Amino acid sequence: MSGERVGTPAVGIMTSAFVDGAELMATALGVRGYAFAVISHPISSASDAELETKARDALEQARHLLLIAPG
Amino acid sequence: MVTVLDPSFGEDADAFDLPDRPVSLVGATVGIISNGKANTRPFFAHLARLLREEWGVAEVVLRTKSNYSAPAERSLIDEAAHWAVMFAGVGD
Amino acid sequence: MQPLRSRSIEVDDDGVQELFRQRGWTDGLPVVAPTPERVEAMLAWAGAAPDHVVGVETVKERALTAEKVAVNAVLAGCLPPDFPVVIAAVEAVCRPEFLVHGATASTGGCAVLLVVNGPVRQQLGMSSAHSVLAGPDRASVCIGRAVRLVLRNLLEVRPGELDRSTLGHPGKLSWCVAEDEEGGLPWLPLGTERGVPDGISSVTAFAASGPRQVMNEWTTDPAEVLTTVVAEIKATMLHYSIWAGNYAVMFPPQLRTVFHDAGWSKADVRQYVYDHAVVHRSDWERVGKRAVVSDRNRHVEYRALPAPEHLLVISGGGEAGGFAAVIPPWLGPKSAAVTAGVGVCFEC
Repeated sequence: MSGERVGTPAVGIMTSAFVDGAELMATALGVRGYAFAVISHPISSASDAELETKARDALEQARHLLLIAPG
Repeated sequence: MVTVLDPSFGEDADAFDLPDRPVSLVGATVGIISNGKANTRPFFAHLARLLREEWGVAEVVLRTKSNYSAPAERSLIDEAAHWAVMFAGVGD
Repeated sequence: MQPLRSRSIEVDDDGVQELFRQRGWTDGLPVVAPTPERVEAMLAWAGAAPDHVVGVETVKERALTAEKVAVNAVLAGCLPPDFPVVIAAVEAVCRPEFLVHGATASTGGCAVLLVVNGPVRQQLGMSSAHSVLAGPDRASVCIGRAVRLVLRNLLEVRPGELDRSTLGHPGKLSWCVAEDEEGGLPWLPLGTERGVPDGISSVTAFAASGPRQVMNEWTTDPAEVLTTVVAEIKATMLHYSIWAGNYAVMFPPQLRTVFHDAGWSKADVRQYVYDHAVVHRSDWERVGKRAVVSDRNRHVEYRALPAPEHLLVISGGGEAGGFAAVIPPWLGPKSAAVTAGVGVCFEC
């Protein structure tokens, strides 16, 4: 959200265990309904293959959050 | 009847409009601000590679916060102002 | 006095508890109805204007006013004389080095431990003897609870919401202790060691994990007592978190006698713990953490304390029992213990 305030579109990436807290913070900071890319929890013990899958998942969600749909 | 006072804060920050989104990131510089928690390095390495290979991003800049429990330093936010878009994470 | 600005709600006398429960404004315990009169009495005792900014939480960008802190102090059961201590505690946790957002949102589940020094302890009837770590008197319990309600109601720190504590510990409900300064002589009080002038009361706020109790009643050698303490610290470093930061240790009269008879000051205690509370990365292998040990890092040395002064040595506890308390930090250096004067800024 700090990025958004300096004019840079931003996507926060978090695991499913942290969504509630992030939504509260966004509301507290004046951005109700701010969206995040949510990936499965946890990442600390994920294998490299699992991390790649999570990265793809995050990017797929981010496509809709960061880019204007053509047309 | 008794009159009691509301103990809550009750006032959220002034709302602001989100900046405009780009149509494409081909040729753009994209930034990542990592909180540096366990496994974020390989996670963001995959993210950066996918951005370059599949989104046509020209450059991915990776920065790591000095304290994952605190907001990003002012210097990182100032640098973020020069990126087309950015990613931040991972809340875990 | 300036008019109060908090929204007022009319409620049946019988409906106060249910109102606060439904709105999520209580920790689950009954509350004292924060009427305008009670809030004004709090502010008047402390000589605080309602719009005086006690502290600013910089992540959510929230200025915590004396009025709002007073409403929560009334809720918690505080009496007006308690309020200056509550203000000092909230000032302390809002200092940047305390990192209140991180400490209270973290999965690490720490609590805010408040250590009170100075004349205010006697003025409020605070006890430093039996069960000192577990709310031995009204003022200790209510002051600690007031800070908890401030976090909950003014900073949204509620379990499962911004408070992501995986487990937490009982200190989160209320954790305020008064140091046994008189019984601790010739040791200096914690506040004095942290720069508070004589005659001034203070609150030291510390983002703390749950206390670990150790026991050594079989020696008169201070080094042996501290070897027991150091063993607990080293175990915590391996079992919980290896990162250096503030630790607190509390000694009751029976163990303080060992130090006093041998002429050991608090500084001697700090130096011993700093020198001996050391582990190596390879030690993690024997506690199930082989995954983070490699040939590259196994020889890396970790100290519990960045420097001796990071150990908070506190006198307290009942007269019988060779028990000490080891209180680890939330997470290494992320949050620093902060000391604030009661009713005065001693660093200004």
